[in-house]
Amino acid sequence: MIEISSTPLIILAILGTVAIAIPLISISRKDRGSSLFYGAIALGALLASIGYVIYQFVTGNVAQSAIFSEDVLVDDAFGGLFAIAMLIVAIMTTVASFNYMRKHKHPAVYFSLILLSAIGMVFVAYSTDLVMLFVAWELMSIPTYILAGYMKKDPSSNEAALKYFLFGALSSAIIIYGISIAYGITGSTNIGEVIQGFSTLDPTMTPLALLAVGMFIAGFGFKMGLVPFHMWLPDTYEGAPPTIAALLAAGTKKVGFAAALRIIIMGAVALSLDWTFALGIIAVMTMTVGNIAAVMQKNLARMLAYSSIGHAGYILIGLSIAPFSAIGIQGSLFHILNHAVMKGAAFIAVAGIVTTLAVTNIDKLKGLARKMPITSLGLVISLLALAGVPPLSGFWSKLMLFGGAIDAGPIAAWAPWLAIAGVLNSALSLAYYGWIIRKMYFEGENEKRVKEPKSIIAVMIFSIIFIVAIGVYPDPIIQFTETAVPNLAALSP
Amino acid sequence: MVDAAFLALSVITIGSAIAALELRSMIYGSMALMGTLGGIAGFFLLLDSPFIAMFQIAVYVGSIAVLILFTVMLVKRELIFKKIEDPRRKFAGIGLMLILMMGLGSIIIDSGLRTIQTNEPAVDFRDIGEDFLTYYWPALILMALILAGAVTGALVLARREDVEDEQRAN
Repeated sequence: MIEISSTPLIILAILGTVAIAIPLISISRKDRGSSLFYGAIALGALLASIGYVIYQFVTGNVAQSAIFSEDVLVDDAFGGLFAIAMLIVAIMTTVASFNYMRKHKHPAVYFSLILLSAIGMVFVAYSTDLVMLFVAWELMSIPTYILAGYMKKDPSSNEAALKYFLFGALSSAIIIYGISIAYGITGSTNIGEVIQGFSTLDPTMTPLALLAVGMFIAGFGFKMGLVPFHMWLPDTYEGAPPTIAALLAAGTKKVGFAAALRIIIMGAVALSLDWTFALGIIAVMTMTVGNIAAVMQKNLARMLAYSSIGHAGYILIGLSIAPFSAIGIQGSLFHILNHAVMKGAAFIAVAGIVTTLAVTNIDKLKGLARKMPITSLGLVISLLALAGVPPLSGFWSKLMLFGGAIDAGPIAAWAPWLAIAGVLNSALSLAYYGWIIRKMYFEGENEKRVKEPKSIIAVMIFSIIFIVAIGVYPDPIIQFTETAVPNLAALSP
Repeated sequence: MVDAAFLALSVITIGSAIAALELRSMIYGSMALMGTLGGIAGFFLLLDSPFIAMFQIAVYVGSIAVLILFTVMLVKRELIFKKIEDPRRKFAGIGLMLILMMGLGSIIIDSGLRTIQTNEPAVDFRDIGEDFLTYYWPALILMALILAGAVTGALVLARREDVEDEQRAN
């Protein structure tokens, strides 16, 4: 049985207790408390959790990335990397919400739901059992359905929540169908045993195993925003409160990749499928559709939503070349960590702009650099990092992804084309990011400075330091991602 | 005998699912939903899982469907829903469903699943319970948290602040 002091269980104990306690405190208090009070409690719990994860890494208590375990959870470096990324996103969202939630009701439940979703996100990455993974997936999703519709008098927030819920429920149904088939033909829900069962399967059963893997791709693909499962995403990210859009784009979306790595990639390796090319095509389609649609947007949140579809495409490059190049998959993990901060910061900048100026239309961002200099700087740095401009963090992870694709060239002749598509798409993305930067910095010269929300400033400063520091000195993170890469060579039959 | 029961159950389950979607009256619709959920319990009985069948009836037919019925009766539905019909979408949906059913059906029928014969006894529900407290115990805790989150969230979303504010003003 899994040790009680293992990282996921400690995170569960800390965040679970606080998540349940906050609404109870709210009921027992007469004045119902402020967003700052509940936000500070939630922040404390999140900081304690991330502190524990880092402490475990520093003291060397974390195992090298293990693919399987006899238990439902495994305390390994792969889960640890995702836990750190997801907790950073949850912390950024919580801090940014201090100001955002000041004007809104029920802050206690809001922060409690963020914590519950954070537990779900962390647990998906640590899961080594399909039932555990599904339950964690639901714990991650259900609070975010509610959070997306938290502004209940705003019709666009209602629309966002409804679309997100319907597509989320459909994707969950597809995943559980996949799980039931996998269980039916292998007799186990443990991912290790399922994969082993797949590799020794009777040939007449192989179509069912393929169907199960296909259902996992579709089910997780919905959350990852892969084309053609991306239709819900822009409406949801635009209509949801921008702080929650940050949680969705930077957090829950990335968790889909953790689940995909644990199941799809390994399942496909065990079935010795030639799935790499198909994933490569999905990667190119996803990045191209995302970036081309982003160019046409007039709303900043919507543009960022499409750009996050594009980034799902970049991350998928690493997954599609996983059997040929370890650098590619390492690049994917690095990009997931980077994208969590970059996209989180960009959406939180939008939250700051909405809170202060109540605009999201790009044309109305004229002179934003004079009105809100720190928020603007944070937004610019995160946009440039998203485009992959050196020396910012996004450059290195894209370099590893594209380098991995070229590296895989001798084995898979089509792989370098992924790098070419990626570079072209990055150039395209720079065009629309550049347009926003031009609006903010080179137009509207007579604007006067307004007061920026303090909590947004804090998130912006953290993000700028993170993006620039990793951009200038990426070595520690690259080494960290190296330990988190699962050894796929051990899986090949 | 089993085949006849399977067919009858399929007709009840799918028929009442279509009725639940198509009936104009939400009360009849939710009653039809009870039929679907009850039919699924029948499938579990056919699959030698009486325990799950019992729970399906107790939880889904007994409580959830009744809860939905009460909610429909208590809420003024005309205030909430505006139905926009688009026949093209409906036909597209039906077409997509047929393609999906044929695709999945052909994969399942072509596979070796049909030829498998097992004489293993039905799963004992006590084993399921034991598994939940040993192997799956972290999942059980997470399920509790899902319910807690869903309930608190639903309470916040369903709360009528306008009514509360009005009462306060009076």
